[in-house]
Amino acid sequence: MNKVIITVLGKDRPGIISQVSNILYELGCNLENVNQMILQSQFAGFFIVDPPPDKDLEMLSQTLIKKTTASGLSIHVDTIDGGKIGKEPLKGETFLITTIGPDQKGLVARFSSIIARHNVNIENLKAVFKGGRDPNANIMSYQVFITQDIDTAKLFEALRQTAEELDLDIRIQHKNIFNAINKI
Amino acid sequence: MFEDHEIISTIEMVKNENLDVRAVTLGVNLFDCISHDLEMFKKNIRKKIITHARNLVTMCDAVGEKYGIKVVNKRISISPIALVGACFSSDQMVDIAHELNAIAKLVNIDFIGGFSALVEKGIAPGDQALIDALPSALAQTERVCASVNVATTRAGINMDAVLAMARAIKKAAELTSDKDGIACAKLCVFSNIPQDMPFMAGAYLGVGVADAVINVGVSGPGVVKRAIEKNLEAHPNLTLGDIAEIIKKTACKVTRVGELIGREVAQNLNISFGVVDLSLAPTPTVGDSIGEIFQALGLTNIGVPGSTAALAMLNDAVKKGGAFASCHVGGLSGAFIPVSEDLNIANAAHKGFLSIEKLEAMTSVCSVGLDMVPIPGDITIECLAGIIADEMAIGMINSKTTATRLIPVPGKKAGDKVYFGGLLGEARVMAVPNLNLCDPFVRYGGQIPAPIHSLKN
Repeated sequence: MNKVIITVLGKDRPGIISQVSNILYELGCNLENVNQMILQSQFAGFFIVDPPPDKDLEMLSQTLIKKTTASGLSIHVDTIDGGKIGKEPLKGETFLITTIGPDQKGLVARFSSIIARHNVNIENLKAVFKGGRDPNANIMSYQVFITQDIDTAKLFEALRQTAEELDLDIRIQHKNIFNAINKI
Repeated sequence: MFEDHEIISTIEMVKNENLDVRAVTLGVNLFDCISHDLEMFKKNIRKKIITHARNLVTMCDAVGEKYGIKVVNKRISISPIALVGACFSSDQMVDIAHELNAIAKLVNIDFIGGFSALVEKGIAPGDQALIDALPSALAQTERVCASVNVATTRAGINMDAVLAMARAIKKAAELTSDKDGIACAKLCVFSNIPQDMPFMAGAYLGVGVADAVINVGVSGPGVVKRAIEKNLEAHPNLTLGDIAEIIKKTACKVTRVGELIGREVAQNLNISFGVVDLSLAPTPTVGDSIGEIFQALGLTNIGVPGSTAALAMLNDAVKKGGAFASCHVGGLSGAFIPVSEDLNIANAAHKGFLSIEKLEAMTSVCSVGLDMVPIPGDITIECLAGIIADEMAIGMINSKTTATRLIPVPGKKAGDKVYFGGLLGEARVMAVPNLNLCDPFVRYGGQIPAPIHSLKN
């Protein structure tokens, strides 16, 4: 069977990772990747596992759901493509697009649409809108991977124009500048 | 992905704290341009400089745009003209300065440095011709910068050269009396001149370096000041040792930015990368000032008691942070205290907190010297030479670079306002005690011998 991705959602509390990983261990799954994040009070975790040959998707899903129902977690299990070995990685560069300014409805929708329209992939997005007067309390930061075939100037121009219309300060910087300053 | 505070602090450094790359300076070796024929020499240097510098400005702008960090000044340094043009007369040297000025305009850079001579142990005919040409060359051009090294720790001080430079400075000021003696703002007298410095007016390309090289001057006084202020706001009980650590860490970040951008420019131009100069270089902009760092450190103004100690700590912390960040450090690498180029320092001098004597004392612990100091135009040549000699002695004895960039402003007295414009800034003429003296000391000439600690072999 292909690799499996298990998505775990629920109210954050101590022990979620422990509970899920122990169930997977008992099922004989090999854990390949785990990532988790907490948005406000909500936990979201992603587990990519290589299941043993005798366990099918249905069985994994049923077991996980059954053993976590009482703890209020929502579980989704699906197969994934294991990745095509030998595939050439795309050539390109990673930029950070950061906007700072007043909170308005539809900000993420508008900016992500521009990025999508230019066929650019968002690798990571962080958006915090706390309102109030502190400019640093309302920030969006998109980490995007721009491949060589993308018209960068056109994308940046569109982003800057939208930021200006929305009265946002926008910075578009290659990620290496953040590495240089922050990662020693 | 980066943490929120990493993204915010990086953006704030650029947006609010004036972080930029102060200078990307392309060094071009002109030794293969030498000719006894002036026209041929001019043709050769034009071809060589333009070949290397054609795309310098556009490349710096493109790399600056990519990282969101502005490269403020793009400049060129060249082999000392007194060496590569040693066979020419002083009139021909002036002609060369015009050619360099035209080349600078053509490739759209603001300054070209290297109209220079190295005379710490004697003046050769080419050196003399260049020194004689300095006043006219600097008065008649806008973008040519000159420097003359009159002392080293290994050679001592050439007092004949010191006196000659005092004369040249006075004459250069007189020739630009309608512009507050601005020609002198493009002329530095050095002890232990670095051969890889990217900053003007002293930048030139040394004889022992590559055919073409990119050197980078970082900036960041505003970043250092805010780092001190923010940390003191959060932790009012910090000791000076803690603050030195904060400066060191900040300098490290600033240096890494400079090296990142310098290396990419060099790589894209297919030119070797030289050094990062770690100097904290101020501008006349509020928030981009070395003087303000002194206030952040708890001193009323730069120049009050405690200033030399504060500068020593600042200079050392900058060096340590920068040296950790990069293996290729050179140039001056320390803190600049140019009077007219730093609004806060200019104001401190005007208000009486900073005297020229205190300024001189402070130069014994930082990386430059009496820099961009407007002084009364009626100062005697002997007194001016004496000030230069004193500054050179500090550099010679302490095995460090010192320099003077003094502007004896024609027709102006202490307290009068002078305006140079742009990065050169504005200030009030600083008082110089005993400026009418004509003591014979500097007229004895000859060589002040090298100090005992120069005998290292």
